[in-house]
Amino acid sequence: MNTSSIRFRLAAWHAVLLTAVFTVLGTLLYFSVRQYLDNTILETQAKRARQIAETLLVDVPKTGEAYVVSEIKSLYSPELSDRFIRVSRSDGSVLYVSGPPADQSFDPSRVPHLEPGNAAESSRLERIDDGRSLLVAAFRAATAGGAPYLVEVGTSAEPVDRFTRHLLTLLALGIPLVLGVAAAGGYIVARKALSPVDKLAKKAEIITQHNLSERLPVTSTGDELERLSVSLNHMITRLDDAFSNSKRFVADASHELRTPLTVIQGELENLVAEGQLAAEMKDRIGGILEDVERLGRIVQKLLALSRLDAGEAQEEWIRLDLAALAAATSDQMLLLAEDRNIKVTRDTDNPVFVMGDRARLKQVVVNLLDNAIKYTDPGGSVRLRVHESSGRGMLEIADTGVGIPPDAVPLVFERFYRVDRDRSHEENGAGLGLAIVKSISVAHGGRVDVESAVGSGSRFIVSLPLAPSKHPLRQNESR
Amino acid sequence: MRILVVEDERKVADMVSRGLRAERYAVDIAENGDTGWAMAHTYDYDLVILDLRLPGIDGKEVLRRIRARDARTPILVLTARDAMDSKVDTFEAGADDYLTKPFAFAELVVRVKALLRRGPANQSNVVRIGDLEIDRLTQQVSRAGQRIDLTPKEHALLDYLATHRGRVLSRTMIVEHVWDQSFEGLTNIVDVYVRHLRAKIDDPFPVKLIRTVRGTGYRITDEPAQ
Repeated sequence: MNTSSIRFRLAAWHAVLLTAVFTVLGTLLYFSVRQYLDNTILETQAKRARQIAETLLVDVPKTGEAYVVSEIKSLYSPELSDRFIRVSRSDGSVLYVSGPPADQSFDPSRVPHLEPGNAAESSRLERIDDGRSLLVAAFRAATAGGAPYLVEVGTSAEPVDRFTRHLLTLLALGIPLVLGVAAAGGYIVARKALSPVDKLAKKAEIITQHNLSERLPVTSTGDELERLSVSLNHMITRLDDAFSNSKRFVADASHELRTPLTVIQGELENLVAEGQLAAEMKDRIGGILEDVERLGRIVQKLLALSRLDAGEAQEEWIRLDLAALAAATSDQMLLLAEDRNIKVTRDTDNPVFVMGDRARLKQVVVNLLDNAIKYTDPGGSVRLRVHESSGRGMLEIADTGVGIPPDAVPLVFERFYRVDRDRSHEENGAGLGLAIVKSISVAHGGRVDVESAVGSGSRFIVSLPLAPSKHPLRQNESR
Repeated sequence: MRILVVEDERKVADMVSRGLRAERYAVDIAENGDTGWAMAHTYDYDLVILDLRLPGIDGKEVLRRIRARDARTPILVLTARDAMDSKVDTFEAGADDYLTKPFAFAELVVRVKALLRRGPANQSNVVRIGDLEIDRLTQQVSRAGQRIDLTPKEHALLDYLATHRGRVLSRTMIVEHVWDQSFEGLTNIVDVYVRHLRAKIDDPFPVKLIRTVRGTGYRITDEPAQ
């Protein structure tokens, strides 16, 4: 589980918040119930204490203490009703104390005496040494003309304790249960609500500069996600516009350059052909013509690239044997290598079928081989290999040439990038050859990579999706 | 031979007509589609050179109209667009050949001549340039009676030069003809093959037949060098 995902965090926040709320509520509930029960019991005790004082003790001077004791015993029979009753004189000596209750819940003789004080009424919770507790209400009873008596009535706090303990157990068990349910529910709800995000992300990942015309799915739920996907789509539209503007600019610019180039080239050729010029002048015009031609080639390549960008790459789309194509193409270039005393070895015996445009894929082989030969010193070697690897057709061209410095490796496929300006200035170098290789590879659903070490050589690897092996009859087409 | 050039770019039209006149053709210029169609309709031309992007009726429409009326006149289309679909379209509409700007004038002339020749004219089996003999049937080459062995590519190159003897062929033309369009931009391959060809047919002999024309290309001729 991804702990930083929104759905996890939502569920976690949900759970934390509920924990806090339940804890506060539980605490409040616990204490108020406890308080309420204590108060109710104490009020009953206080009422009884007042009763004893007002009905019996008021008349002590008349009836005598012994009468009071027997009355309490007969009227209240505290031992039977598990009650504690104690009557003390003002000097602290005990007039009467009830015996141990029937349920043995406390020992009356061990109940501590009330601290001396003047309050007429008071109540307290007594903790007896043996761990039991007693709720005790006290009442100071004035007598007609005599010293006051202190009446204490109490009962065991055990039932309250038991009840609150039960409540606490309920809360302790119930809260985690509720939390578990809430967290799981929160996770599921969040996942459900966020599932369009997964779809958006999946789609967004496959949109590149080559398929900017595609859009993200919009869930018409009227929620934030709909707004998000609509906003993202607007952004893609703006990107699309920007990209096609710049592509159109390149296409238009190269297009517009062609007519003046035609005029310059033609007029210069006419000048030379008319034959009235001195040899030196012809040579100089020839120099200009060389550059005009070069310019023409650059314009041509830029247009080719912008067509590839626009997805107009495939003039045909057939099943073809990449190995045979590479072998045939290298045949036509062998003399270039021989001329520089470079040995070309080939490993193209096993057919590898891919889908594509013959002329374009051939251009990939031409550009890569030309580069390999150009940047390898005489006596070196170039290796051409076509094979299948993990379900893809691989075209590898490795040389023992000068190599590419590490900082230049990521840039070699950029347009107009040249590793060594002086060296590639020779004839054709415009820095577009590898850019074209990349564009063609991408247009075929493939890619191109390079591994290189300065001084020991470079290896370019083009990987293309294999053609489906179904239509055996159509193989003939590629021959 | 009379040629109609339908081209709205004044300078291109001038350049083309001047060059063609130097080759002793009569040239008329039409600067828009309407005039072009009217002229093609009115006069009898041996060849029409037609730009595709024209004010008025556009090039393709002119092409269709000319073809609807007359199936014979060769039409060479010029365009600044080289998208394949438009190439296919133009051939379907009845163009005989197709040239993308910028082009070498030499190439235009070669194509014009080929279109005007129409069919296998002077395609004799044996081509002789000075003391060089090329037998097209047996693919044998000899010079001053000595047999010379050529690789297939060298032979294709020599054959192409010889077919257009005296005429300058640009490296781009040679690449596209002897190799194919995938090799465009790889014009240094032409230089390498020409060097190898020269080593066989020129170096051992006093008169050099293959000439380099700087900035333009190569030609083969037995005329004395200037």
